[in-house]
Amino acid sequence: MSMASQQQGERQDAAVLPFSGLRVIDLTWHVAGPFGTRRLADWGADVIKIERPGVGDPGRDIPPFYEDQPGLERSGLFMYTNLGKRSMTLDLKSERGRQIVLDLVKDADVLVESFRPRVMPSLGLDYETLRAVNPRLIMTSISNYGQTGPYRDWEATEITSYAMGGAMINTGHPEREPLNFGGRVAAYQVGAVAAAATSIHLLSVEASGEGDHLDVGALPVWMGAIDRRQSYLMGYQYGGGNSTRPWPAGAIGSGTWICQDGYFMTTAGPAMFPRFMQMVGMGDLLQTPEWSTPMARSAPERLDESLAVIVPWMLERTKKEIRAECQEFGVLGGPINSFEDLHNDEQLQHTQFFQEIDHPTTGPIAYPGYHVKLHFVDGSGLPARKRAPLLGEHTDEILRDVLGRDEAEIAGLRSEGVV
Amino acid sequence: MTADNSSVNSLGAPNPGNPTKPDPDLPLAGMRIIDFTVVFAGPYGTMQLADWGAEIIRVESTTHFASTTRGMLARPALATVQAQTNMGMGMPDSEPGERPWNRSAVFNAHGRNKLSMTVNLRTEEGQEALERLVAVSDALVENNLPQSMERQGITWERLSEINPKLIMIRMPAFGLDGPYKSYRSWGNHMEAISGHPLIRTYPDLSPEYAPAGVPSDAASGIGATLAFLMGKRYLKRTGKGLLIEAPTAENFVPLLGDFVMDYSMNGRVWTQMGNNHFYLAPHNVYRTQGEDQWVTIACRNEEQWQALCERMRHPELVNDPRFKDNESRFENRAELDVIISAWTAEKHASWIMEQLQLVGVPSGAVINERDATEDRHLEHRGFFTRVTHPEAGTHKALMTPFKSMNNPGVGPRRHSPRLGEDNEYIYKSVLGYSDEEYAEFDKKGHIGMDYDPSIP
Repeated sequence: MSMASQQQGERQDAAVLPFSGLRVIDLTWHVAGPFGTRRLADWGADVIKIERPGVGDPGRDIPPFYEDQPGLERSGLFMYTNLGKRSMTLDLKSERGRQIVLDLVKDADVLVESFRPRVMPSLGLDYETLRAVNPRLIMTSISNYGQTGPYRDWEATEITSYAMGGAMINTGHPEREPLNFGGRVAAYQVGAVAAAATSIHLLSVEASGEGDHLDVGALPVWMGAIDRRQSYLMGYQYGGGNSTRPWPAGAIGSGTWICQDGYFMTTAGPAMFPRFMQMVGMGDLLQTPEWSTPMARSAPERLDESLAVIVPWMLERTKKEIRAECQEFGVLGGPINSFEDLHNDEQLQHTQFFQEIDHPTTGPIAYPGYHVKLHFVDGSGLPARKRAPLLGEHTDEILRDVLGRDEAEIAGLRSEGVV
Repeated sequence: MTADNSSVNSLGAPNPGNPTKPDPDLPLAGMRIIDFTVVFAGPYGTMQLADWGAEIIRVESTTHFASTTRGMLARPALATVQAQTNMGMGMPDSEPGERPWNRSAVFNAHGRNKLSMTVNLRTEEGQEALERLVAVSDALVENNLPQSMERQGITWERLSEINPKLIMIRMPAFGLDGPYKSYRSWGNHMEAISGHPLIRTYPDLSPEYAPAGVPSDAASGIGATLAFLMGKRYLKRTGKGLLIEAPTAENFVPLLGDFVMDYSMNGRVWTQMGNNHFYLAPHNVYRTQGEDQWVTIACRNEEQWQALCERMRHPELVNDPRFKDNESRFENRAELDVIISAWTAEKHASWIMEQLQLVGVPSGAVINERDATEDRHLEHRGFFTRVTHPEAGTHKALMTPFKSMNNPGVGPRRHSPRLGEDNEYIYKSVLGYSDEEYAEFDKKGHIGMDYDPSIP
């Protein structure tokens, strides 16, 4: 037993996990869909990932690659978004391939797909067909714009969708161009919403026995669920006009500062402003008429006076020292970290957030951990996490154990290129 | 309540008196959740549960104002409210009104379909009311500084003894345990620690200009929504309640998973990417006609690149050695962006978007709130509805971010609760107090729709 698992007590049997016993047929590719079904796999679901024979999920071609060398089993993105799933290859365009999907659906609880809205019907796998096979099925469709509406078939990438759905216009410096999200944050969020949506509706299946078709479109998800966009839209309805890219980023005491060994971000809204002033040694000024009210403080001279104190105060201290001061005075703040800093972060080290997972290509390396921690009453830990599947690694096993096909049938499917 | 009947709450029946009147066919109808959430991340998570039918009881107090939940201050000066630009913090017509805490845009956006009660937990009878509430609820959700909950007696040890089937979801910024346990943080500071501002900021400016957006707030909310459903399924499987810890940092870092993987696999540290893609070009935002108007354009393959060149009436670029393949375009992206900017500068952003989408090139106008409200796609999908709030008026509001075929049209059933609006229903129908006992709570200052006058 490793040190980590000793600290967490005995490992739980996988059967106790929340989604244990749930079977998910996974027809998702790229980023958002695989991340969503992985959240279900994380918590115990048996996720059967269907991939194209020979080439697999196009996500296998997306960098970063181990040692920067492309290859079907070398994408870090794929390894990360497909942890704990089983992979089977299947030609969805063949009639026998389609029949295998329908056979899988019979005993499944969920099917998730992230094709363009036209694809599932064109494969003869529309919701009505699947429902006829299994009336209790939850089908979750993930797409760029949703299953209906004039933009349904439009193209999208993360930056174009964030522009149309998110708070891009409010992000950045007023004299510069608006800024995108980092990396693929927006796509991951769509997957996270799809996992939550699916799990909510699994409850109604239990109560009513009726399945459902869920429409998770990235644009409405971004509009409704990214970066407080929803509150900005309400603010606009309330007559507040369009949001801008504000600078300085907030009131006095809010911003990102150069400090002795890097950069540090603080926020000092009206309620917390006095604490910030005390921290930087300007507390006495709060009694003066120039500083006593939020209105008085909004004069531009006050900003200049504050900068004359705050800038040198920050420069004289390290990130760690500023954090300690923030702690003492109850001020909101945090250092601007790189991914190297993140990796060595003392809190994440303490909670053992990063998990070492072995893979034939990479050997054991650190992955980001689960999104929540389950505190089992007996103090036990979660079962060991399984790596992402190799392309078609479980094809035979699924045909044999899930679908009851014999060796001759499996050989036949293989020779015809169906699997 | 039986362990396997998850759609019926502890009272044994769907809540008939719930003032928000959830449709009994909604997936979460009949569930009751105690809501101690503040600011945005927690409230956004319980909003999802409220939308899909759960009875969400916000436990508030007339003697404590949690800043930025119902506005920055309980009683902001008129001039302060007027000076507030949108950014989600405004009030209708920039008027604080008699009770500003019922008029905050951010609260009235995520508070829909929830109930509000007031109670002073620093008293014995207040704690008794909390115990009664815990006994008849399915879950408790909170996202406060851990020790502030513990100070109020809200601990797993105590609550799970009162109700062994309770699901408790705690959303600290960093952890219920560890060196940052008591570290004060909003989403933007937690994101700074997680590495997000540094990767998204301008390549050519000092990181002082790193933006302070908060995608982590909605992400944490959704993570907590899933956690509640996980708890329900665990209860069904084992008959036991569960404490689920959902630190917002640990929920957000997974959304940066590929950066973590690149560091683990190759030791690479990405930084200051701005609008650059990892490897695609073109991929940027371009200035268009009008003030602060922009359009995004990105090409994922050669077909899209060729279509873009033709639409820009620059077919010769396809054979230009600087741009002959994605690798060359990425290498020479600065020159490429100059050419594209020249084309976009005198055109309308949404015209460019429509023209490029017509030929299959990914493009999106950078829209503001007005554009979003008027967007034809969202309009067609019925994304907006109208909600009337007794102290804020009638305004457009959003439906749920995803749709269900069986339950189309899920969204706001009732306005966001005014402070203490549902006290009578909660104390009497949910907690079972008599009229006399309720009057006693009132006399002792628990019941109210106004913050104590001493609160600024």
